[in-house]
Amino acid sequence: MTKKFINPIEATEIVKSSIKKRRAKDSRLRLYGRIAIGMATCFLFFMFFSIFTKGYPGFFQYYVTLDIKFDRERIDPKEDLSDTSLYEGEASKTVNESLFSIINPQGRKAKKEARKIVSSGKDIRIAKLVKNDPSLFGTVTKVKFALDDDIDSFLRGYINRDTPESERRISDNVIAYVDKLSEENRISYEFSDYILQGSASGNPEMAGIKGAFFGSILTLSVCLLIAFPLGIATAVYLEEIAKKNKITEIIEVNINNLAAVPSVVFGIMGLAIFISIFGMPRSIPLVGGMVLALMTLPTIIISSRAAIRAVPPSVRDAAYGIGASKLQVIFHHVIPLAMPGMLTGTIIGMAQALGETAPLLMIGMVAFIVDIPNSVVDPGTVLPVQIFMWADFAERMFIQKTSAAIIVLLGFLIAMNALAVYLRKKLERRW
Amino acid sequence: MNSKKNDLKSLELTVGDVFSKNARLKARNVNVFYGENKAIDNVTIDIGSKEVISFIGPSGCGKSTFLRCFNRMNDTIVSCIIQGEITIDEENIYDKKIDVVPLRARIGMVFQKPNPFPKSIYDNVAYGPRIHGLSENKEHLDNIVEESLKRAGLWQEVSDRLSSPGTGLSGGQQQRLCIARAIAVSPEVILMDEPCSALDPIATAKIEELIHELGNEYSIVIVTHSMQQAARVSKRTAYFHLGKLIEVGKTKEIFTRPQHNQTEAYISGKIG
Repeated sequence: MTKKFINPIEATEIVKSSIKKRRAKDSRLRLYGRIAIGMATCFLFFMFFSIFTKGYPGFFQYYVTLDIKFDRERIDPKEDLSDTSLYEGEASKTVNESLFSIINPQGRKAKKEARKIVSSGKDIRIAKLVKNDPSLFGTVTKVKFALDDDIDSFLRGYINRDTPESERRISDNVIAYVDKLSEENRISYEFSDYILQGSASGNPEMAGIKGAFFGSILTLSVCLLIAFPLGIATAVYLEEIAKKNKITEIIEVNINNLAAVPSVVFGIMGLAIFISIFGMPRSIPLVGGMVLALMTLPTIIISSRAAIRAVPPSVRDAAYGIGASKLQVIFHHVIPLAMPGMLTGTIIGMAQALGETAPLLMIGMVAFIVDIPNSVVDPGTVLPVQIFMWADFAERMFIQKTSAAIIVLLGFLIAMNALAVYLRKKLERRW
Repeated sequence: MNSKKNDLKSLELTVGDVFSKNARLKARNVNVFYGENKAIDNVTIDIGSKEVISFIGPSGCGKSTFLRCFNRMNDTIVSCIIQGEITIDEENIYDKKIDVVPLRARIGMVFQKPNPFPKSIYDNVAYGPRIHGLSENKEHLDNIVEESLKRAGLWQEVSDRLSSPGTGLSGGQQQRLCIARAIAVSPEVILMDEPCSALDPIATAKIEELIHELGNEYSIVIVTHSMQQAARVSKRTAYFHLGKLIEVGKTKEIFTRPQHNQTEAYISGKIG
């Protein structure tokens, strides 16, 4: 006879004996979860710690304070503060004279070396100062100038004064001059006014991310303006209007595949279509934005469709039941209810686009552009490409600048995500 | 209109009087298919003006499907095919010329689960009049909302919080809000698909009372699982079984002297 039922007392015993095993399984699973989260947190912490400690010094640099005699005849010979007049003036010479009066270089070679101590942007700085405040003319005022990147690296301790002269980038003479300037308390370590306000530059001490920052904003704006409406319209059409047949199925599969296409392919496509066929200029945020829009479209479409599918059917029934047309159901109920989800997808897409380098290299946004782009058709670059370029430069100072730019990029990203969270919270129905 | 012969064909199946003297909705030989599946088999019935009629029957008998034919809610289901004729005031609602939007304004619907919009109480009721352009101005709209809520017996409970969310109300209140939303567009017929199945007895009693009152002004078709409810609210009752309309008659007669043995079996609890 087969045993059909276990009697209750036996059953209780069996359950009791198995409970220990179950508990152990339970706690083991919990432990795995904790280890996983702990590791993820650690990695995140190390990443942020390393970026921050490396990048933080990038926001600072060494300056030298010099007494500048603002002689109008020398600095602004035409006395009209125009660019040509200031260009023809002898601003650099004035700065050098002030420097020489402190360090006293002897001979041509020494003088040549001494001139390099102060960054080559000194004449621009003088021009800026007098343009802002012409009353400086005729006075002797203390002005801060950025030090050359080699001197900066030396002061940070990256160049050792004990290595033989022939093996380091700055000579004994220059070290002596810097020591002299230090003795007079003329050298200071301050928040850099180039990193945030400067643009691409061959001189590391003058390089900044302003151009790339605005390039990123313009590119992302174009990307958003194209991808968001297009993505949502596609999602709404596919989910709500299109009949389910072979064609929509094919479109669906292709959209999903498009999401997995390497981004550089979109760059090649942009190059082939926008630049080669339509003849658009290279390096402009408009083309960059269009390429990135193509790249982010699948992400937006997929997440928007998921958001639309999550709208409860009862709401649709209610609206149809009262006589709303399809369009009214879509615009009054489906889109507002799906909007938070659609926004989340859009922000994920935008964040992807913000960090994208490869497709923009293809369309020439890697060009060295000093001017800050004012519109979407001005040549420009974007933050990740700027980081990519700086990481490639040999000068020591670019390492810190690269990390600083990464911090700015991360800040940009966090700000965007914060905005998304805020918008989502605001749009999400409280009920 | 269909020939007498066709009518008789369905009468062979249906016991009782399917016709009504002042019929508002007429269904003639209606068949509904879900793909290959026949959900409704040759049903003929009249729904009178200002009459409360209830559809009863075991689960899956097709009574909800049939109800949704009257305002063409089955249109949204791709595989659903409807044959036969349903007329409102002698106009075939499945005619190609008929637009479902005004049709659904004439034939309102209340669903099984209360489904207020995630909007304020006011906006819930005002939505219908707004999309159909029924109100001339804000004041008029206010009046419509107030009147609808009063008719739905909800005004006293919500008059001081019209701007609070409709979904924050209790289940019974939500269902009455849905009824108010349906009557705000001044329909002729209200279809109710098991309106009390998600509600507790007290809320149910309120809705039933409301249906009773509304029956004086609207034609109401109510699908219900509760035979007591059918007995309480409706004047006529139709019994469905496996997609067929088995018996129609005065509620009293159906519950006291059912003619068809299947009806009797269901009412006495033997099937269903």
